[in-house]
Parts: sequence; C-alpha cells; structure tokens
Amino acid sequence: MTIDQFQLEAKDINVWFGERQVLKDVSLQFPSNKVTALIGPSGCGKSTFIRTLNRMHELIPSAGLAGSVLLDGQDIYEEAVDPSTVRLRVGMVFQKPNPFPTMSIKENVISGLKLSGRKNEISDDLVENSLKRASMWNESKDRLDEPALSLSGGQQQRLCIARSLAMNPEVLLMDEPCSALDPGSTRRIEETILELKESMTIVIVTHNMQQAQRVADKTAFFLAEDNQPGYVVEFGETQQVFGMPVDPRTNDYVNGHFG
Amino acid sequence: MAQTPIDAPVRRTLRVKPTTIEDKIFFGISTAAAYSSVVLLLLIMVFLGARALPTFEEQGIVEFVFGTGWQAANEPPQFSIGPMLWGSVLVALIGVTLAVPMAISLAYFIQFMAPKPIARATTVLVDLLAAIPSVIIGLWGLAVFSPVGAHWGQMLNDSLGFIPIFSNTAENFLRTPFIAGFVVAVMIVPIIASITREIFSQIDDDLIKASVALGANRESTFRKVILPVSASGIVGGVLLGLARALGETVAIFFVLNLIFDDFNWFRIISPEGGAIASLILSKFGEASETEISALLAAGVVLFILTLIINTIASFIVAKAQPWRNR
Amino acid sequence: MSVEAVARPKFAEPWKKTNQRSKLIQIIASTVPIGIATAAWLFAGVDLIVSVLLVLLPLQLIAVGIAGFLLKGRRGVPDAALIVMTYFLGTFVMVLLVSVLWSVVEAGFAALSPQFIFQNNVYVTPTTGLEIGGVGHAVIGTLLVVGLSTLVTVPLGVATGVYLTETRGKSRGVIRVLLQAIAGLPSVVAGLFVYSMLIVTGVSAYAGWLGSLALVPLMLPTVARVTEESLRLVPQELRNGALGLGAPSWRAFLMVTLPAAKSGVVTAILLGVARVIGETAPLLTTTFAANNTSINVFDGGLATLPTYIYNYVSLGFDTSIQRAWGAALVLLILVGILFGAARYVSRPKSLKAKKKKEKR
Repeated sequence: MTIDQFQLEAKDINVWFGERQVLKDVSLQFPSNKVTALIGPSGCGKSTFIRTLNRMHELIPSAGLAGSVLLDGQDIYEEAVDPSTVRLRVGMVFQKPNPFPTMSIKENVISGLKLSGRKNEISDDLVENSLKRASMWNESKDRLDEPALSLSGGQQQRLCIARSLAMNPEVLLMDEPCSALDPGSTRRIEETILELKESMTIVIVTHNMQQAQRVADKTAFFLAEDNQPGYVVEFGETQQVFGMPVDPRTNDYVNGHFG
Repeated sequence: MAQTPIDAPVRRTLRVKPTTIEDKIFFGISTAAAYSSVVLLLLIMVFLGARALPTFEEQGIVEFVFGTGWQAANEPPQFSIGPMLWGSVLVALIGVTLAVPMAISLAYFIQFMAPKPIARATTVLVDLLAAIPSVIIGLWGLAVFSPVGAHWGQMLNDSLGFIPIFSNTAENFLRTPFIAGFVVAVMIVPIIASITREIFSQIDDDLIKASVALGANRESTFRKVILPVSASGIVGGVLLGLARALGETVAIFFVLNLIFDDFNWFRIISPEGGAIASLILSKFGEASETEISALLAAGVVLFILTLIINTIASFIVAKAQPWRNR
Repeated sequence: MSVEAVARPKFAEPWKKTNQRSKLIQIIASTVPIGIATAAWLFAGVDLIVSVLLVLLPLQLIAVGIAGFLLKGRRGVPDAALIVMTYFLGTFVMVLLVSVLWSVVEAGFAALSPQFIFQNNVYVTPTTGLEIGGVGHAVIGTLLVVGLSTLVTVPLGVATGVYLTETRGKSRGVIRVLLQAIAGLPSVVAGLFVYSMLIVTGVSAYAGWLGSLALVPLMLPTVARVTEESLRLVPQELRNGALGLGAPSWRAFLMVTLPAAKSGVVTAILLGVARVIGETAPLLTTTFAANNTSINVFDGGLATLPTYIYNYVSLGFDTSIQRAWGAALVLLILVGILFGAARYVSRPKSLKAKKKKEKR
C-alpha cells in the first residue's frame, strides 16, 4: 500500500431506496490505524452509509447505489467480488448487541470462523486473544461455556466485538455501538476502541459528540434537510471540526443548537 | 438511644373479587361456563376409562396392547390391538418422515428465498391447504394417488426388493402403509410448514444480519444460525403433526388393509397394516357390548398416546420461549 | 454544492452485475439437467418419478454445484446444494398439494350442476347417472349439524376464553391443561364415546344432534384457545383506561376489551367451525345417512357432506365416486368461504381504517 492510498475510501457514493435518494455525493477517506467518527442528526443517512462499506446495504429491498468503495485500492462493488469475502475483511458491530442465543460465550467468539468456513484457524489462543482485545477476558474466562445470553448488555456487546475481532478484520465498522448501553460499559468500549486502532481502521457512527471527541482522530459531519438526501457538510481532524468548524451548520450542531 | 420498636407492617391481602351484582353475574357466568367445559371433558375421559376398563381386565392390559388377533366371535372373545397400534405408529412415522423435509423446505423458500409477492401467495395457499378436510384428501389418496403409489412401490420392489423394508409377499402394491403414510404426509405438510414459517418469521433479524456481517454464506447461516434457533419450535410443530397423523381415521381407512393377526413391522409396500382409528371405524357398526368396550379401550390407548406426544410437544415449545422473549 | 435529489439511474444495483460468462454458466446449470431428464422421460421411456429423482436431481445438484464453485469458489457449493434441494422439495410438495386441489375441482366440477347442489338422493341408486340427485340434503344436514354444534360450543368456548384471561380464578391452569389434553382426542373416539353412551344404551337412535354432540369436544379447545389468545393480545392499558374511569369489570369487558378483540373472537369461531365441518368419523358413528332431505336433527337419518362422501366412496361404482367428488367440491367451497371470511375478519387494522376513511 502506497502512502497516498487509504485503507478504505468511499468515492462519490449516492444511495437510493426505491426512487428516493437518501445520500448524495459522499466521498470520504479513512486512513489506516485511525478512528473516524460519523456524526450528525438522526435520519441523515450515517447508518445507511456505513452499510455501503461492507456490502450490507444491498440486502435491503429496493436499495440502489452509485459510486465506489475502495478497500486497499480495489473497488468492492466490482463484478467479480464476492460480498462475503468483503465482509471477512470489513467487520461490523451493531447497535443492539446480537450474540447468537443458542451458543455459549466461547462458541460465539468463534462463530464467525465457523460460519465462514475458516475452521482451521480456531484455537483456544484465538478465543483468549479476541476476548482480551475486547476487554472481556477477565469477565468470561471462568464461564466460557455458559450461554452468551447470561451476560449483561455491555458484556454482550463486548462479546460481539470479540466475535468480530476473531475474524482479524482490516476495518471495523461500528454503528452506534454504545447507544444501548450504560455509561460504564460505554467507557470500557471506548477504551477498547482506542487500543484496537493500533491494528485496524475503525469507522464509528455515533450520536454522542463527546464520544466522537474522545475516540476519533477524524470526524465527518452528515446533514440532511427536509426531503433531501443526506450529504457530508464537513470532514476533517476531530479537533478542527469541533474547535474551529469551517461551516456554520457544523458550528450549530457541535454547539448543540440543534440535533 | 433505645429504638422504639417499629411494628412490622401488616400485610393486607389484596383480593380481586367482584363486588357489584352485575360483576358477580359476569364472573359467575364465565366461571360457570369454564367449569362446564371442564365437567364435559372430564365426563368424557371418565366415561371412556370406565367403559374401557372391563376390556383391560378381561384381556389383560399387556396382552391387549401388545398381542395380536381380534376375534369377536370367539368364546370368550379375544381382542388385541398390537398390529393396529404399531400400524398407527408406522403410518404416522412414514408420514412425518416424508412431510418434515418438504415442510421445512417450503417454509425456508417462503421466508428466505421467494420475492415478497410469491411468498405471500404461497403462504395463503399453504394455509388454505391446511384447512382441507381429511376426507377429501382420503378421496384423492384413493382415487388419484393409489395407482401412482402402487406403481412406485412396484418399482421399488423390482429394484430394491432384497431389502426387507421393500419386500412384498402379495402380488399387489395397493393399500400399503407406504401409500397411507404418503396420504398422511400430504395432510400434515401444511400444518408443519405453517408453524415452521411462523417460527422463521419470528427470528430476530439482527441475528441473520450478524451472521451475514461475519461473512457467512447462505448455507452456513441456515445450518448454524436459523436452524438452532428454530429447533425447539420446529420439533414442537412436528410432534403436533404427528399427533394429528395418529388420530387420522377416514383417509387411512380408504387406503390401508387392516391385518389383525400379524405385525407388519417394516414391509411398507406390502398390503398389510393397521391403524387404531381405522380399526374402530371398521368394527363399530355390528359390535356387541363387549366388542364396543374393546373398541373404546383401543381408543383410550390411542388417546393416551396422543396425550403423551402433545405434552412433550408443549414442553418443547415452552422451552423455546427464552429465545423469543429476549 | 447543490443537494437537490438526483433521479435514480437505471442501473443502480452494482451487486447484480453479471458478466456474460456467469450468465451463461447459470443458464446451462439450470436448463441442461431438465433437458436431459425430460429427454429420458419422453424418449427413453424412463418412468417419470425415476427420471425426476434419479436423473434430474443428481444432475441438477452436480450442475448447480459446479456453477456455484465456478462463480463463488468453495463456499458456493453448499449454497448451491441448499438452493437445489429447497426448490426440489418445495416444488414436489406444491405439486402434490395442488394435485389434491386440482382433482377436487376437476372431478367435482364435472358433477356440479344446479340440480346437483340442490336436489337430494331419494330416487338415486348407486349406479344412477348424475342427471338425477344431488347433495342438497347433505348440505342442509351439514349446516344443521355444524350449526347446532356451534350454537353450543361458541358460548361455552368464548366464555371459557374469557374466564382464562379476564378473571383470577385459581383453576385456570388446570383448565388450560385439560383443554390442551382434549385437543388431542382422536375424532373417531369422540364419535365412539357418543355412540356407546347414548345409542347403545338406547337413549337415542342415530340422530343428527348426536353428531353435533360428538363435534363439541373437537371444537371447544380451538374456540377457547384462540379466544384466549385474542383477548390476551388486547393491551392491558385499554382495560386500565376503562377501569380507571370507574367502569365495573363487566362493562369494561363488554365495551372495551371485547370490541378490541372482536375480530380475534370471530376468527376463533370461524376456525372452530372450519375444523369440524369436514370431520367424518364422529358423524359416521352417530348419524344415519339418509337420502331424503330432513331438517329434523333429533330423529331419523340426516346426511352430511362428509358422510355423503364416505358412503359414496365406499360404494365403489364409477357414478358413486363421481358423486363423491362433486360433494367434495361443495364441501371445499364451504371451507373456502369460511377460510376467506376468517382472513377478511382478521386483516390488518390499518387497512380497515383506510377503507373507512375512503368511505367518508
């Protein structure tokens, strides 16, 4: 990978649901080993955008897309690309923790490997490693065979992170991972994110501006006016976006004048 | 400072009891109705038991349930339902074995493969087919399917007749457990398919999304996520279908030869078999008092069998709740 | 930058792009096995089911498996197998089920005529042609017998459902278990029960009302259970609203809860009726099928559609079987009407509200 190539890059992304356009001309570059936050009011397309990055968007009926997403320079929407191979490299953590209910904690961690047919990579070391990276090891090492649902909400979410980490992705997408959790769990997950960025690129959608300032290196501000598609108003270093926003609308949003 | 003892609060009983006349009447009526239902049903069970008892005493329970032969004219008469009991089970097993893969495929197709309009249309069709009275399916079984089923039986016998299950001693292949089982399968497929589809539709969408996001292909998601989560519900549905199959009377009566003196354990394309419900139907018209008691006893055995299966089914389905309530 | 929405371009689904090669592979994989199997069936005289099971299925699995491998690598093969098996089994079962429907419609239609629907069989012998006689008496009989059952079961069943949801009675658990148990009563045993309790003991001869009686335990659990479930679905807040305003329980129930659950209760009744309208065994052991039209449920023979079908099938003659098909079609139509009514009644509330608005 050359210096001027980003790990993940979105170019001129336009999204429709049916005939209605919901995202217009979104172009963002996600540098490796950095955390990028996507902020903006509800309903402006942040979650929809993030789903274009791992080809989950096309699972929604009537979804439409124009533009390209480059992973290590290669467009993931090219004809020959199998979407499941993309998802092996670009993992996702959802808003509501969704561990597999019929599996134990340990089984959940390795579930991704089993589902994608990479059984030979399964090992106890991998389980331990993934749980440690997700800050879940101490709480689960004595109960690996217990059902995943016996964990609390925050623990389940960290389990889901561990599950994604076991796949060793290059990019981790997080769609409001803490919005269903209490402040304590939120803090732990933020700490985890800061540790994880050493080994991967992270894109996080968040409603919480303080969270964006705490974890993100870069921030993109999305906005959508009434009945119009969402778009990126401003994108830059987090400190600059929050401290000295270029666009007055960004200024309004980060200072709480609307949202 | 000495603490003044505080009296522990006295717990008052909260009663939800009707106070006004109208309310008393309201509750009274519904309670009376519920109890009448209960009385009616208990009456049935008690009466069945009482009338069946003489047979169990005279024939001996074990001999009655597991023996062979039905001789009403003998002195003393000898009644055994062994071949009939096994026959009911065999036909029901064949039916379930054929029905389950078909029903689950149908449910999977509707829920996870078909485009919305086709899925909706197929669902309506399947629900409608679940309502078809069994006598009509029996008529179809007799008039339309029997020749086809016999033909298949013949081919199986020609090519694989050396395997005991496909052996045949008579010269024809009509009125066999295979045909009866097939007809029963057609009857219970819509039920199982409906229940399975319902279960599939209730699976938390997030789980499927999680599986896909982890890079799973279609088959992995089905085998490792969808099936485990639906398993208990599907088993419950299958048992329900099984109970229905056991109680099936007329349809089987049209397409099965009843043999009382011998067990047909596994020769499914041979025209010999049994079914308790069909036994009752064939014999009740000219039955004497003792024979009626024997028929009732047979009915009681069948009833108990379906009770056990239904109980297991409820138990399994109840155990499935924890997933759904999350 | 203008943020006006742009119209969706014609080709906005890049994931659906297929090149010539993969299109070709898919077409070959789906059609070649069918072609071979059809050729085997039509020209080589291979039996239909054999060519389907032993030629089409394996060839299709192999072909689609290879296609899956070429297009998606190792992971594509199990997916291919799943898709083939699903289509295969699904089509097989739909063919069977549609065959049942089709046979009834086709054979029944041949027998159907206004005279068939309305006449009775007083002058009919087993071999009389279909110009004379019909199922009129059986239709009336079915309506009477099932109607009587419904008359008895509905109040009992609905009230039981009410008891199970609206009261705090201590026996609720027991009653539920009992209802569940009786739901498993084989229909022939219900019929035999009535037979031995009332006919053999001489209390009554074969009669219609005995058939209705036998149907009651078969209908009751369904009506009670579905009523209970629909009442349960009514949110507690609705009841609380009425009670909070000072309404006594019975008023709250009649004016708030019941109307809210109305469609559910009606569905319960319709489903209960649909369940027993086709029941044959209980009627065979309790009623005596006659050829004339009778509306006397308490005495004498009374034909019903299911027993009509049974009797005419048992006769075995071509003409009698034709009559059976005709009766089957009439019965199916009745069931279809009930089924359609149940679906209409339980359609989503949003549609009902929309229709009401449109009327204004």
